[in-house]
Amino acid sequence: MATIPVLIIDDEQDFAVTLAERLRLRDFEARSVGSADEAMALMQGGWRPAVAIVDLRMPGLDGIETLSLIKQHDPTIEVILLTGHGSTTAGIEGMSKGLFDYLMKPVDIGELIGKIELAAGKGP
Amino acid sequence: MKLRWPRPDQFVSLCGGAGGGELNIVKRYRCLRRSLLLVMLLLTMAPLSLVAVLSFHQYQDLTRHEAVNNIHWHAESARRSLEVFLDRLKDALVVLTNTNSLPELVASERLERLFADLKSKHQGLVDLSVIDPSGIQVAYAGPYNLQGKNYQETLWYNKALTRKVFVSEVFFGFRNVPHFVVAVTKKEADGYWVLRASIDTETLDHFLSSISTEMVEDIFLVDQDGHLQTSSRHYGRVHDTFPLAAGRRGKKDVSVVEKTAYGKELLQAAGAVQGTPWMLVLEQKSIAQRSSWLSFRNQLLVIFVVTAVAAVLVVVRISSAIANRVREADETREKMLTETEHTNKLASLGRLAAGVAHEINNPLAIINEKAGLMKDLLGMGGDFSHREKFLQQLAGLEDAVKRARVITHRLLGFARRMETTKEKVQVNEVLGEVMGFLDKEAMYRDIRIHLDLQPDLPVVESDQGQMQQIFLNIINNAIDAIGKNGNIDITSRQVSPRAVLVEISDDGPGIPEALIHNIFEPFFTTKKDSEKPGTGLGLAITYGLVKKLGGEISVASAVGEGTTFSISFPLKG
Repeated sequence: MATIPVLIIDDEQDFAVTLAERLRLRDFEARSVGSADEAMALMQGGWRPAVAIVDLRMPGLDGIETLSLIKQHDPTIEVILLTGHGSTTAGIEGMSKGLFDYLMKPVDIGELIGKIELAAGKGP
Repeated sequence: MKLRWPRPDQFVSLCGGAGGGELNIVKRYRCLRRSLLLVMLLLTMAPLSLVAVLSFHQYQDLTRHEAVNNIHWHAESARRSLEVFLDRLKDALVVLTNTNSLPELVASERLERLFADLKSKHQGLVDLSVIDPSGIQVAYAGPYNLQGKNYQETLWYNKALTRKVFVSEVFFGFRNVPHFVVAVTKKEADGYWVLRASIDTETLDHFLSSISTEMVEDIFLVDQDGHLQTSSRHYGRVHDTFPLAAGRRGKKDVSVVEKTAYGKELLQAAGAVQGTPWMLVLEQKSIAQRSSWLSFRNQLLVIFVVTAVAAVLVVVRISSAIANRVREADETREKMLTETEHTNKLASLGRLAAGVAHEINNPLAIINEKAGLMKDLLGMGGDFSHREKFLQQLAGLEDAVKRARVITHRLLGFARRMETTKEKVQVNEVLGEVMGFLDKEAMYRDIRIHLDLQPDLPVVESDQGQMQQIFLNIINNAIDAIGKNGNIDITSRQVSPRAVLVEISDDGPGIPEALIHNIFEPFFTTKKDSEKPGTGLGLAITYGLVKKLGGEISVASAVGEGTTFSISFPLKG
């Protein structure tokens, strides 16, 4: 079974790096970046994630704006929003822009993997 | 200076203004009630008293005026009667002197006849006699033996010679009996002869008493020197002295004065009897002793007292009612302010909680991931000493993160501005769904849940999810309060055309009275030290949700008996 490429975009580098490592340990092709700019650079460099996990609140472009950028770049990439705030409004706004789902921090790794697999079309 | 009437709220200011402790508030409303009472008493009693005093004086003046007129008329009338009585006698005597010569009258038979005729027409006539120019009584008809008496030296005789018709003062004379004379003088060639009729004072007394009424205290005649001419009830017998003011002696017109004599307040009228040396004096009770005045005064007093008492009662009732209304209005305002303050506090806390939750969630997520990674790595690596202990510690770390996550999620739930969706909600169905969540928990704890739901409960326009959360929070609280083995009663019913009421009662330990006012405050918890400590947000969230749905929530509790939460929802939210 092919590994699912996952991109984690979060200004909390420590969180992003650790989560990526945990996903990699679970056979995901996970990469982490600290901002939308870095993510765009990575994708424009030719790497295409199946699922992007984006933090809602980031300096510069926030999660919703990053979602729009990703969807502009490749509408097939599914985006899961991670937030420490848990705003329904942000979720609803995100859904209207093609958001796959949103989860609240701190997230349970099992739940996250379930959502990633669902987003990548490999879930149950 | 412009005087301004204080407004009701200024009365409150006068009484110490708003604020202060419970005692001050009680004092303030007492003071308000007192101020209102005083002002209203002043407003009612002042005109009432004024009317009473004015009526008193008006009627007093009227009665006095009437009494003065009455005694004046009475004295005038008595005086005229006396004058008429004397004038008739005088006229009769003048006729006799004109129709009879001295020698004719001296013939004793003739005088006797004339006397008998005169006596039959003039009451009180004692005798009739003729005195010749030398002053000797030459003829006498009457009961006394006065024939031949010489009057040359007597005062009355000498006075009589100076005028044609004369009425004397009362004197005792030769007969030594008080009497007065009416004498007519006739001129002859050799001098003046006199026809004299004498009348005893008993006749005058009788005459005066016959015109006396029950109002009359005393009526008598007095001469110019102040000697009584008739007997007086209060001043003595004939010739005793009567203290008539010098200024009133001899005055032809009747004058009336008020005076106090023999311990009574009196009206005294006095006026000269024309053609006599007398003054008629009449004394009547002053108005203070008159029954009509006393009756009026007593009636006025009774009316005043009854009206005043009624006014005081009404004023007391009204001032109490106003003070109570002001108090109720203040309390309503206070309650609204407290509710607004509470809502604002919740909103501020919500914002604060959201900030705190967000800030905590990020490091919490890092801890979570780090711990997870460590666990992953430990799972992949081989055995080493203390491996199990490491795994235990990591499991503890993950549990702690989960607990922290529950708290931050609740904080966010508290803070979240959930958009309320209005839909038709069947309250009984919502309760049934909630019971589905809690049935097993209750069973495990041996708690029996009794439902008493009104079958035809109308649907309400509300948010089903939020209503569910409300019931869930309260029933959960009830289960926690009971602990093990107990009862929960849930009832629903329509209590008004506009609202349904759900009551959730438990027979747990109850909430002490000192704490019951705080249970809807955020972060207030009674479960700090229990196995499953509370966040203190459950009831605050519930309170906020009920308010958001337009409902009311209240709690009643008794230690040792249990707690009842009553939640009402409007039919139209």
